[in-house]
Formats: sequence, C-alpha cells, structure tokens
Amino acid sequence: METFLVVAGLIFLLVVFMYNTLISKKNQVDTIYAGLDAVLKKRHDLLPNLVASVQEYMVHESITLEKITELRIKAMTHSLDSRETIALEKQLSSMLGNLMVAVENYPTLKANENFLHLQATLSEVEEQISAARRAYNQSVNDYNNAIEMFPTNFMAGLMHLERKEVFSIPKQERSSVDVKNLFQK
Amino acid sequence: MKPRLASLLDYYYESMYPTLQALEEKRLTILSSLKKAALMLVFLGTVLFFVLSRTNVFTPLHAFLLSAMSGFLIFMFIYRHERAGYDSLFKDLVIEKMIHFLDPSLIYTKMDSIDEREYERSELFSEAYDRFSGKDLVCGEIEGVKVRFCDLHVEKKVRTKNGKEEWSDIFSGLFFVADFNKTFHAKVVVLPDVAERSLGILGTWLQGVNPSRGELIKLDHVAFEKLFVVYGDDQIESRYILSHALMERIVAFHQKIDKPLYLSFVDSKLFLALHYTKPLFEPILTRSLLEFESIKAYFELLTMITNIVTEFKLNEKLWSKR
Repeated sequence: METFLVVAGLIFLLVVFMYNTLISKKNQVDTIYAGLDAVLKKRHDLLPNLVASVQEYMVHESITLEKITELRIKAMTHSLDSRETIALEKQLSSMLGNLMVAVENYPTLKANENFLHLQATLSEVEEQISAARRAYNQSVNDYNNAIEMFPTNFMAGLMHLERKEVFSIPKQERSSVDVKNLFQK
Repeated sequence: MKPRLASLLDYYYESMYPTLQALEEKRLTILSSLKKAALMLVFLGTVLFFVLSRTNVFTPLHAFLLSAMSGFLIFMFIYRHERAGYDSLFKDLVIEKMIHFLDPSLIYTKMDSIDEREYERSELFSEAYDRFSGKDLVCGEIEGVKVRFCDLHVEKKVRTKNGKEEWSDIFSGLFFVADFNKTFHAKVVVLPDVAERSLGILGTWLQGVNPSRGELIKLDHVAFEKLFVVYGDDQIESRYILSHALMERIVAFHQKIDKPLYLSFVDSKLFLALHYTKPLFEPILTRSLLEFESIKAYFELLTMITNIVTEFKLNEKLWSKR
C-alpha cells in the first residue's frame, strides 16, 4: 500500500511539473508576443510620416506607398491573431525593403532633413523589431519542443496545445529590411 | 587615424629614448643592489643557520627554515623598497607617454582606479569581496565615446583545509567601462560558459535555475552560445543589446584576445572585464628599457584596450543616442 502511495505521489508530482512547464512556456510566448506587438505598433505609428515625407519625391513608387498604407491600416484596424499578424508584418517588411532600395534613386530625398530623421528612427525601430522577433522565435521554439517532446507531448495533447508559428523572414527580404545598413552605404 | 606600431617606433627613438636612458641606469642600479642584497642575505642566512643549529633549541630543519624565511622576508622588503620609486617613474615616462601618444585627450592617473560602486554596478562578479584595489586609471573619450579603464584586483578571504586564512582572487585584470551605443533599461550579463562546456545539458539546466543572475537568455548565435552564458531581465531588450552583429564582434574579440572575458550592459553602459594573471602596466625589472621589444608589449596591450570602442562599434550610435 505504501509503495502504491509513493508511486502515485511521484506520478502526481510529475504531472503537476509537466503541466506547469507547459503553461509557463505558453505564457512566455504570449508575453513576448505582446512585446513584439508593441514594437510593431511603433513601426505602424511611424509609417504615415514616412509615406508623407517621401511621396512628393517618389513619383514612380506610388503603388508601393499605397500598399504600405493599406497594410498599415489592415494591421491597425483589424483584430488579427498571431499567425495573421506575422504574415502581414512579413509583407510590410518586404514592401518597406523595396521602398528603401528605391530611395537610392532619389538624391534630393536622401538629403531631406525630415526624411533623414525618419530613416534613423525607422532604423532603430527595425533593430527593436529584430530583437523582439528573435525573442519570440526562441520562446516559440521552446514551446514547440515542449509540446512535441516525450513525455510532455502526452500532457500537451490532453491540454489541446498546438504548435505555434515562428516569425521568420526569407533571407533576401531580411537583408532588404536591414534599413540601418542600407543608409550606411 | 590611430597611431600605428611603425610610428610608435619613431616616437620611441625620438621622444622616449633620451629619457629612458636615465631610467635604464636606475634599473641597472636597482638590479645591482638587489644582487648585492641577495648575496649578503645568503651569507647572513648561512651564518644564522649555523648559529641556530648549534643551540639545543632548534633542530637543523627548523634552523634552516627560520634562516631561509628571515632572509626571504628581508629580501622582499628591500625589493619592494627599491622598485617602488622605479615603478612610479616607469609609469610617468613610459605608460603615460604611450597613452598620450595613442590619444592625447586621455587622462592617466597611476594611483587611481574605477571605484567600488562602479564595479558593483556592473554585476559582473556577484561574490562578496574583502579587498578591492586598482591602479592605472585612464579616462577620456575615444571616437566620441566616454571610456574609463584600469587594472583591477578584487579578492576575498578564504579559509584553507588547514584552517589558515588566504587571499583568493575574484577578479584580476582589465576593467573597462564605456558608454554603449544604444539606450536601454534592462540588465544583461555575459559570462564565460563553464557549466555547459563541462556538464553539457545538465550545465544548461543548472544555468537556467540560477536565481541570483536573473533569466537565462538563449541566443541564436551558435559560436556565441558555446562561449558564453547570458543572463538578463528582459528577453526582448537583451536581444536588442546583443544584436547578431555585436555577438559576432564579441566572438571575434574573444578569439583574438584568448582570455576569460566578462561583459555586462547596465544603464546604457558597457562593462568589460578581461582576466589577466599578472599586473597590466608594471615594469619588468629584468628587461632592458632600451630595447623596443619590451615597450612594444605595453603598446599592443593599450592599443587593444583603446580599440575596444571601434571593435564593438560603440562609436556608431543609434538615433536615440545621437
């Protein structure tokens, strides 16, 4: 009887430990996602000023500018889940990358004081987004490992926990949104 | 443009060499005095040994130990007394001149150091200490970045198995503080990864449950992760500070220097500690000052320290720090 109680106690402790581990990893993902969301909002706040200061110079880039405005409005007004946000921000990063490459063709814009200030701010925000994205991906990776690895995968199944998507950016796009490097050329 | 080794060679022969000749004479005089003192003490020690061993109070072994210890202590007293003035003069004529040659705006104070509050603020070494000493403080701006560095020695008292008290090093070496190029509020501490290297996964687990250091930050740079363990109080801001580019530079710096490296980022400042087993700017009494090679080592060390600013690109400030 005593042996049975000891074994039952150990199993109970193991279940509690696994449950708490999974919950803490899930909460970690949510906390870091909130941080990521906050820096993404910083970028959204910056975009109207950026578009306003470049549109009179960049006459041939109106489609890109319209797309950026449209994506920003979508990100700000629609309540998107993490998967949709990640997909939308990927598009936004890609469009911003294209825009910054196009800036090279407008020397008067590159000399504009207001634009220089905006590009420096954007460069810093991009650094913060990059940091938040890395932190988010690490937490998602830890969480995904926990729900797929033995023995926590059984507990994760019972708790109906699902894999989360990492915030990845294709390599060529990642380099094109590296605004800091772009403007240091 | 930073002075190079070739221009130091010119400076050495044109500006330093004449004054170093006088210092070299002093060095030779000290060496000769020390040799004489050593001979005299060996003679006196031998006499003392014979006198003590002939009495019934001491055994020959005790007599030998007593006379050898007395001789050694007297020699150390003479040695310290003789080289005290020489060390000070060496720092005025060699180290200070070399620092000004590297960057005339830097201020050198041979007897001063970074204060204890700054050391504690860095949070690099969490152990309690009993003795704090430092010297050779350099302050100023390099490429527009405020820096301070010195040779630091922090010790604690430990009791050996025999019950004796001994001084044990917590840190000995270069302690460097500079303004960081980003504004941040979190604290990040980067330490050599001893546990993971020696214990593997168990080491990583132990690092994760270390409550005194804060949250373990796992970083996405394989080489950096192998060398260092990182603790911080904010997952996002820690990665904002430790960007991929900075981790790359830290790894390259570590490989070049090949010494235990400790880094922390607190209150928008970078704290860096490099562990050295010997004092950084003390003269070597047995080496001639009239040979450029003996000066070159100090120059290379000082260049390495002042280059930290450019190696870590601390001068490339982000918008918020402009």
